[in-house]
Amino acid sequence: MKFAFFPGCVSRGACPELYTSTVKISGILGIELDEKALESASCTGAGVLQEKNQLLGDTLNARNIALAEKQNLPILTICSTCQGVMSQAEYRLENEEYRAQINETLADEGLEYTGKTPTRHILWIIVEEIGEKKFKSLVKRQLDGLRLAPFYGCYLVRPSKALKFYEKPERETCLEDLTEWVGATVVDFPGKTACCGFPIVTINEKASLKMVGNHTSTAKDLGADAMVTPCPLCHLNLDQYQDRAAGMMKRKIDLPIIHVPQLVGLALGLDPEELKINKHVISTKKLLTEISLKP
Amino acid sequence: MYEHDILIVGAGLAGLRAALESIEAGKNTAILSKVHPVRSHSCAAQGGINAALTDRGDNWEDHALSTIKGSDYLADQEAVEIMCREAGENLIDLEHMGVIFSRDEEGRLGTRRFGGQSVARTFFVGAITGSAMLHVLYEQTVKQNAQVYEEWFVTKLIIEDGECRGVIAMDINSGKLEIIKAKSVILATGGIGRIFEPSTNALICTGDGLALAYDVGASLMDMEMIQYHPTGLAGNGILLSEGARGEGAYLLNSNGERFMEDYAPEYLELASRDVVSRAEQTEINEGRGIDGCVLLDCRHLGKSKIEEKLGYLQEVAIEFRGIDLAEQPIPVKPTMHYIMGGIKTDFMGQTDIPGLFAAGECANVSVHGANRLGANSLLDTIVFGRRSARGAIEYSSQINSISKSKEELNNETKRIQNIINRTNGERSATLRNEMGEAMTSGIGVFRDTKSIKIAKQKVLNLIDRYENTSIDNKGKIFNTDLIFNLELKYMLDVALTICIGAENRKESRGAHYRTDITERDDKNWLKHTHVAKTDGEVQFYTSDVNITKWKPEIRKY
Amino acid sequence: MLQTAKKTIQIEIKRQDPEINNGESYNQIYDVEVEDWFTVLDALIKIREEIDGTLSLRCACRASICGSCAMRVNGQAKLVCKTKLSVVEKNNKILVEPVGNMPVISDLVADFKPFWDKFNAVEPYLKPEGEVPEGEYLAPNDDMVHLVGVMNCIMCGACVSDCTVLEVKDNFLGPAALAKSYRFIADPRDGSQFERLQNLEKDGGIWDCTRCMQCVEVCPKDVDPMERIMSLRSKSIENKIDKNYGARHAKSFTDLIKNNGILNEVLLILRTKGLFNIIELAKLLPIAISAQLAGKRPPFFSHSSKNKNQIKKIFKKLEDK
Repeated sequence: MKFAFFPGCVSRGACPELYTSTVKISGILGIELDEKALESASCTGAGVLQEKNQLLGDTLNARNIALAEKQNLPILTICSTCQGVMSQAEYRLENEEYRAQINETLADEGLEYTGKTPTRHILWIIVEEIGEKKFKSLVKRQLDGLRLAPFYGCYLVRPSKALKFYEKPERETCLEDLTEWVGATVVDFPGKTACCGFPIVTINEKASLKMVGNHTSTAKDLGADAMVTPCPLCHLNLDQYQDRAAGMMKRKIDLPIIHVPQLVGLALGLDPEELKINKHVISTKKLLTEISLKP
Repeated sequence: MYEHDILIVGAGLAGLRAALESIEAGKNTAILSKVHPVRSHSCAAQGGINAALTDRGDNWEDHALSTIKGSDYLADQEAVEIMCREAGENLIDLEHMGVIFSRDEEGRLGTRRFGGQSVARTFFVGAITGSAMLHVLYEQTVKQNAQVYEEWFVTKLIIEDGECRGVIAMDINSGKLEIIKAKSVILATGGIGRIFEPSTNALICTGDGLALAYDVGASLMDMEMIQYHPTGLAGNGILLSEGARGEGAYLLNSNGERFMEDYAPEYLELASRDVVSRAEQTEINEGRGIDGCVLLDCRHLGKSKIEEKLGYLQEVAIEFRGIDLAEQPIPVKPTMHYIMGGIKTDFMGQTDIPGLFAAGECANVSVHGANRLGANSLLDTIVFGRRSARGAIEYSSQINSISKSKEELNNETKRIQNIINRTNGERSATLRNEMGEAMTSGIGVFRDTKSIKIAKQKVLNLIDRYENTSIDNKGKIFNTDLIFNLELKYMLDVALTICIGAENRKESRGAHYRTDITERDDKNWLKHTHVAKTDGEVQFYTSDVNITKWKPEIRKY
Repeated sequence: MLQTAKKTIQIEIKRQDPEINNGESYNQIYDVEVEDWFTVLDALIKIREEIDGTLSLRCACRASICGSCAMRVNGQAKLVCKTKLSVVEKNNKILVEPVGNMPVISDLVADFKPFWDKFNAVEPYLKPEGEVPEGEYLAPNDDMVHLVGVMNCIMCGACVSDCTVLEVKDNFLGPAALAKSYRFIADPRDGSQFERLQNLEKDGGIWDCTRCMQCVEVCPKDVDPMERIMSLRSKSIENKIDKNYGARHAKSFTDLIKNNGILNEVLLILRTKGLFNIIELAKLLPIAISAQLAGKRPPFFSHSSKNKNQIKKIFKKLEDK
């Protein structure tokens, strides 16, 4: 399985551990990442650009996808936000008239968007493409006893129409499913599909911190050892701002937040350090001790 | 202590329009409604509002003639003249308040053609005209900071020295009964649909105002005139607007024929509703229906027109039946929709009881006669809602003081407590369902002496049994069980007046079509029927129809 | 026409009555025999009418137009009259609860006062400018058709129920009120767009939204409240009402993509807060330090796209569209 790799801005910025761990697990999973195909791609706009100018945002995403299409490759993302924004663009581009309008702009660069191979998040690819049986056969380290709270990130759950939940209902529970496949126990909690607060952290920090505090403390109180997320933006907020949120709530939380590829890597038997699990603000030491791994 | 110049019961289009008029006149005004104003059933009106705008070549007299012909000549012509003449001004007022009416290419108000009209004079907002108007009127009451008794339920009108001086009402949120004094009361409580099953009407359309007025001796007029809408959705009867046919949709029978060609060669699907409903029922009865329905076919309108002009219909079709109107015809059948009859009023909304006014569907100033035309009901609510306020403003200016009624409150509290205390009786819903079935089969699209008699006997039987109903919920807070029981009594009282009207009118006219007397009888029955209580006894009598310049003619479409 | 395949569904209802159980909520399960075309509302009415009259709920039109019956079904706000049981039941079970973010009066009946207070706060009525014409205001049909999309809102409260910001911030106007405000701001007849936008810039206004799309997902009328909030943001910036972190964030974000093709978080934060906003930047310092200590090093001068020029070109072409 070869994909045009779309790492997104954050995995090359504030969450380099996500990039590293993705590259590490891909080889084992039989996923070939082409890092050249999207060298001249742009940011998806993350929904912010779309606020101002949807046509512009959709054109940039159509261009990114068309760059991959030119190499006959589907895109693989590792960020809920990148994935969601691209899925939404693809959904709107199903309209022929709109597609033609955007392709007119792309023609300038010799590109054409067809939309034949939808963009997918690595989590979806694992669940849909690799599947339970094959994935389980690759698992080297059962994470028995580990209790994990899922946290999807808005863009991987809404709008369900654009994300094609009606065609692929397994997307609705993919994170819980993966958690079970690695042998861990799911700590279900209502906040798992809510907002992490990241988009307003620089605008309205207090509200953002309340979200962080609510989600992480609820999961912690339900007995979670860690929270796992397919979205680096959620990770940033839930991890980096957790202490401050805890301070606001006048309590301790200390809930490690791990990236999906890190969780997969642990199950595949990789060394925690290779996955850069130690590069988080909230310490993962206790978590790793729990699964009998040296931190 | 609650005290007002004018208390308006009901917050649909008629009630809100009345309220705005009354507030603008500086009167101490309050609105009381058993639901939040925007939940009122006016929101379900889809197709539009009629008005003949003179500045674009239309004229109100033509609208009046269409209306009178539609009414099968039972409408009071002076009332119709008022409604049609004042339509334009009222329509423009609504536009100025903010209603987002559809436009033509020049940005002026655009129209569609509706049933029974000679020309296109129906102004609309997609297929949500009622909702769009209701929300705008509500916005205006917010602007005026109007006082609303929200989720209050009237159990009794207060009559002192033969005049109405307020209501006794329950705050549903607390279960407490209170007296609300008023120099005049306007009833704008809407329709009675739940008396029938199925009905296009909301679950809240239980004839409260009609029953309250009837209880204190006001006359209910032409109650047998029940409109069956030609395009109720098969099953639970949700409305599919006449707007569909206005935009060009066909009605087809099981052979795929546009059967209206046989019944109304000129107007076809846009003949008046009684005519179309009878045609459909005839097709169904004669074996050319499909599972008790005919088909409404919108396919040739194309997806984009359906989505722009009939968006809400498309939503209903897809959500409730899984049918895409652009791809498949949808089964429909005549479904109880509206009552032309109601509390008799004059042109200013004044009922038989001084101080008591009425407007909208619960009232009958007689602009609809024996059959209402589509998009005339919204117009009725606006024109006569406003007029009823003017009537009430003038009346209340002559009233100096409002007196007490402490004793009545105690009696009413006892009465309600007795209902709560009853145990082991029949459930309200059992009686409601039996009533609904009996009324639909007895007072249907077609009716006869026997069917009416059976319905009436059933209703009388249910009125007896009502005294032994009991409710589960003995609590005070938001006791919908109790409300439902009180509404049942209202419905039974009104159902009886419908049966009495139907059994007495010995002719076929408009919606009242008797298979045993199929002709219209202008000689004996160019008359309104009245049912009223005098000293607790039910009285039936008739009165003459007001004819100005349009002499009754044979009605053809 | 209607099939009549019957089966029994377990309907679990979150109940609450100030007069019972000290006002504490409790769940009650009803076994209800349903037809396969039943909506959730049909089943609730059946419970109320045939099984347990003490159950309180609001409902009226049954046709998704009055907005009375928003409730949470399996944790998500729905208009129950248009929610087919067969679509939401899982293993013949559903859970029905009152809407969220509002106090409960009784059972499935919520107190909408906070909802309407916010509705009232946006001055929800047309404020035309200038002299009133004798006839109608002239307005393009396209604008009116566009507004129908917003006027489709039936004020059911589903969006407010599930809004993730309202969960943590009481004074957020919320999706319904903001969509209502948009309805007037986008109305060519309204004369107070600027004042309206100015009011929405304040705390609790348009910049509080996290774009979580809950309102888009749960809106039963496809009003797309979030899209309206985004349009308001864009109009606000167009009107130069942009001296706030939200507007600066949006503008910096756009500029960074325009110039580099991809994002640089450090620059984004600096520009949002303002390079010389020492106090705000100082507040961020501990966060930055802890990230550094953990070994996270967001590069100050990060990667950029290999074809920045092409991206700039697209910006140039479409920026003002």
